[in-house]
Amino acid sequence: MMKVIGKSHQKLDGKERVSGKAVYGHDIELPNMLHGSILRTKYPCAEIISIDTSKALSLDGVECIITANDVDVNNIGYKKDHPILKKGTVNCNRDEIAAVAARTKEIADKAIQLIEVEYKIKEGVYDPFEALKETTPRINEFGKGAEQFGNKNMAESFHYEHGNLEEQKAKSKVIIKKRYELPRVTHACIATSNITAEFNNFDGRLTLWSSTQVPFLYQRDIAHALKMEPSKIRVIQPIIGGGFGSKLDMHPFEPICALLAIKSGKPVQILYSREEEFIASPTRQPMVIELTTGCDENGKFTFREVEIIKDNGAYTSWGATTPFVMMQSYSSLYQVPACKFDSHAVYTNNPFAGSFRGYGNPQATFSIESNIDLMAEELGMSQAEIRLINANYKGEITGQGLHFKTCGAIPALKTVIEKSNYDKIMATPNTGRYRRGVGLGSMLHVGGGAKIYRSDGCGTTLKIDDYGYLTIVTGSNEIGQGSETVLAMIAMEELGIPKEKIKVINTDTDVKPWDVGVHASRTSFVAGNSLLGAIKLIKEKLSKKAIELLDVVTDDWEYANGMMRFNEFEIKLDKVVREMHFASPHELCMVNYFYEPPSKFQDKDFKGDVSGNYAFASQAIEVEVDTVTGNVRVLNVHVSQDVGRVLNPVGLQGQMEGGLATGIGYALTEEMIYEKGVLKNPSFHGYKMLTSTDMPDVHFYPIETYDEAGPYGSKGAGEAPLIPTAAAIANAVSNALGVRFYSLPITAEKVLRALASPTPPKEGLLREAKPVTKHQ
Amino acid sequence: MNFDVISPKTTPELLNAIYDNQSKNFRIGAGFTDLINQFKAQETEGLILINLAQLTEVDFKKISENEINFQIGALTTASELIDNKSIKENFPVLYQAANKLASTQIRNVATVGGNICNVSPSGDMTAALIALKATCHIIDCDGNERKELLSSFIRGLKKTSLTKKELIKNITIPKNFSKNIKSGYEKVGSRKSMEIAIVSLAYHLQMDDKGVITYAGVACGAVAPTIPFTTSACEFLTGKNINDISDSEKEEFAKRVLSYANPISDIRASDWYRKEVLFNISKTIFER
Ligand SMILES: Cc1cc2nc3c(=O)[nH]c(=O)nc-3n(C[C@H](O)[C@H](O)[C@H](O)COP(=O)(O)OP(=O)(O)OC[C@H]3O[C@@H](n4cnc5c(N)ncnc54)[C@H](O)[C@@H]3O)c2cc1C
Repeated sequence: MMKVIGKSHQKLDGKERVSGKAVYGHDIELPNMLHGSILRTKYPCAEIISIDTSKALSLDGVECIITANDVDVNNIGYKKDHPILKKGTVNCNRDEIAAVAARTKEIADKAIQLIEVEYKIKEGVYDPFEALKETTPRINEFGKGAEQFGNKNMAESFHYEHGNLEEQKAKSKVIIKKRYELPRVTHACIATSNITAEFNNFDGRLTLWSSTQVPFLYQRDIAHALKMEPSKIRVIQPIIGGGFGSKLDMHPFEPICALLAIKSGKPVQILYSREEEFIASPTRQPMVIELTTGCDENGKFTFREVEIIKDNGAYTSWGATTPFVMMQSYSSLYQVPACKFDSHAVYTNNPFAGSFRGYGNPQATFSIESNIDLMAEELGMSQAEIRLINANYKGEITGQGLHFKTCGAIPALKTVIEKSNYDKIMATPNTGRYRRGVGLGSMLHVGGGAKIYRSDGCGTTLKIDDYGYLTIVTGSNEIGQGSETVLAMIAMEELGIPKEKIKVINTDTDVKPWDVGVHASRTSFVAGNSLLGAIKLIKEKLSKKAIELLDVVTDDWEYANGMMRFNEFEIKLDKVVREMHFASPHELCMVNYFYEPPSKFQDKDFKGDVSGNYAFASQAIEVEVDTVTGNVRVLNVHVSQDVGRVLNPVGLQGQMEGGLATGIGYALTEEMIYEKGVLKNPSFHGYKMLTSTDMPDVHFYPIETYDEAGPYGSKGAGEAPLIPTAAAIANAVSNALGVRFYSLPITAEKVLRALASPTPPKEGLLREAKPVTKHQ
Repeated sequence: MNFDVISPKTTPELLNAIYDNQSKNFRIGAGFTDLINQFKAQETEGLILINLAQLTEVDFKKISENEINFQIGALTTASELIDNKSIKENFPVLYQAANKLASTQIRNVATVGGNICNVSPSGDMTAALIALKATCHIIDCDGNERKELLSSFIRGLKKTSLTKKELIKNITIPKNFSKNIKSGYEKVGSRKSMEIAIVSLAYHLQMDDKGVITYAGVACGAVAPTIPFTTSACEFLTGKNINDISDSEKEEFAKRVLSYANPISDIRASDWYRKEVLFNISKTIFER
């Protein structure tokens, strides 16, 4: 019987967060600190003729200004195609041209306006299909597309296949081919981007207070950018107000802040305004997906063939690798005998996309699940049935080599079908102003990390002190997802130490051991396993000493209430530790452990068992469409997810609701509207992130499959809740109206247009009807 | 942002402040929910802010009634309107409009006077007040007072009849002459809160005891540079029995409302959508 695991525990830092005591990057203040501000380009595509900083430099309070000419740095980004400060040309509306450090933020902002830049405006390329044409000029001068992919504007390209496509096509009774368009959306972290940098010119060390999700990779990236030694860079993470993948890449403002600190000799802080956050922080990949799928006369899936064009934007970030995840869904979500996958990320003069919770999977799943509904319709089969007969199963090794040692796909599907009254709502005729509908969507995602780097591991150091307090030093990071609470719970469970006596240290690269970072829903999985390994070692130490002190022979101790107990023998943990410290042979009660998941690197064809385990989920979402306004309201969300084992129920529910909020916004309202590379809605007024008042009732049914790879049988759960949401909503809207949408978001206007015209208008043209002017 | 703030406590202090600063660049502020945004976007150096928030004068703040009308102080907040039982009972259109404005935090400071004087075509409380044929009571720093019907007080996009010497003290709404009313505020947008109307429709109908419409006030928001009082649609309804309006009459009413719409396309919706929705919701007001 578990005492702690499986019972709800409040977040360790919950009180600090809600009371305003938590120290975010914005709250950091260092002696003599300067404030930085960045000059971004006025035009998304232009040549820079000249930059004149003289007026800005003479402004009282300005301490230093840098442009590309003042710095000796390397390009950054996944493809190293991104100059930190631009010279010669600018390629997108985020482009950094100069940066100022001044005594106050106001002075820095004013100085920015005094910098004179002369541009020669160029006609940019904002459509990836246009960019692929031979006659289109090369967009990124560092891009290696011509050499690597045979097209100068190709930034990255992936090909994957398994099975015999032609054979499967021949077997198919129904083949559906559709084109899906996915918008650009942003993370909208509540804390805007921030960094504080301090350089010690005596020892050449740089300290960065940064919100990165991947401190050790970041340390390496900053070092490369600035031509420094990584170990001279100390990364400290203050409390992070939202990550969601946005902080997987290092962005130009971060080395820029370091450069300002190095040049001025004083600490420098850069904080984004909300508008800057919209303009200059990463986005989800917009893409066009052409998906062809088939099934035989019994509804068994035969093949999937997909071609994806992604708008990479002007530079290449980690986001370009989202096909790693997308191809998993195309190859292995449901049983797929044959699959062919091609994805091309294409340079444009749009802002570059980054990584975002779900990592390509919401896009892939939207297309897959829409096609499934269409195949069922065509075949005259129930949409629930077709999913059930094709669902993944325990023991399955997919065409891509993913091995589902446990699998909750079928129970998850069955649960949401039943709980949502799916069959009944599907069959209910729909008339009148408000039309109800229900839709299904399922997903597959890594649940046990993902071996993309050489190590997908995590280190832990444990220390118990003279007073019985436990310090967990973990390589993993907390970005709000609640993993440090889970770690404390594991220690409570195993060592019987109360929560008040547990400290989790996880914010300083000078102190903590290696970990690859927060992504891929991996933290509780890898850090939990790492902690369990460390706990085993520290128990051995404690046991040895207790045996000596109590003069008994056993290794079967019960740990509870700060005590070790065996039959009538018992001793307080702090007493054992004191005896270790103060009595001969004088040793510490400390251990180190490194956990590396059993997952494998995929081969050059992207085949292999890439994760320690896999998460499965289904959602049945009930919507109500107002045919008068076109608004879609989500009434009920039924989520069933294979989480392996529930560790912290309240934390898990939080992940569900947060993920759904993002997923619903993606489905219905959120979209960054660009016109020729310029963002038209850089505020929450124009960018429709939903609020708490729009949230539906969330009915969550965890499925516990007890996967032996995870801590206590658990699987990663963080990204999953938003992955099938847009798919399920689109299917529900289609059920409600009898009209299907192939692009997101499904805005009220799209709905009304579809209802007003018998042949739905070609999507994407909607907004071009009239020039945009401001209403108020 | 860098400006001087004057915070008068009494009407004479307020009028003096306006008088003394006639030659300067000054702004009047109440809840500042609109002003702060404007200040962010402009140079504020040399600006003087006359802050009404500290004013203790009851005329500016209270909601009261006499035989012919209700008086609402210009500094009344949306939250105070919502909490007032008489408003809720007599003027559901105003209650709903105030309740659908932004969020609790904004409603707690956003004032009626500010909503009117910001002259946004999507001002929620303003649309309701236009449908209610409200009148603005205006005072100036020379001690003069005047009244003007709200719908004529608003002169165009971002324009009112106020001179630099004037400000609004309060607003009056004529009392209902019937207890039999149909009154409401439809606000169309993609979020339930923190949303500026893409289209809105404010309606306030009074019927005799047989259901015959004797008074109709209908205004539509966010579909034209200013919020029109839809006279011809109102005339069309007057004299008809509310329980007995045919589909074709609903269509005709909606068409007449629509004739006041001259919307723009912007990032939130196209002109097509705004018109379509206005037409659609106009038809539905009889249905609940
Ligand atoms: C996040 C947010 C959401 C919002 N949502 C909505 C919404 O849903 N619906 C909506 O209608 N509005 C909305 N607004 C706009 C705003 O809140 C309202 O217009 C509000 O009523 C303005 O009142 P205020 O007291 O804050 O005005 P202020 O900002 O103080 O003033 C606005 C203007 O009115 C003038 N003024 C104020 N009082 C007087 C007076 N007595 N006499 C003469 N001039 C005066 C000022 O000089 C200024 O020009 C929103 C604003 C924000 C910031």
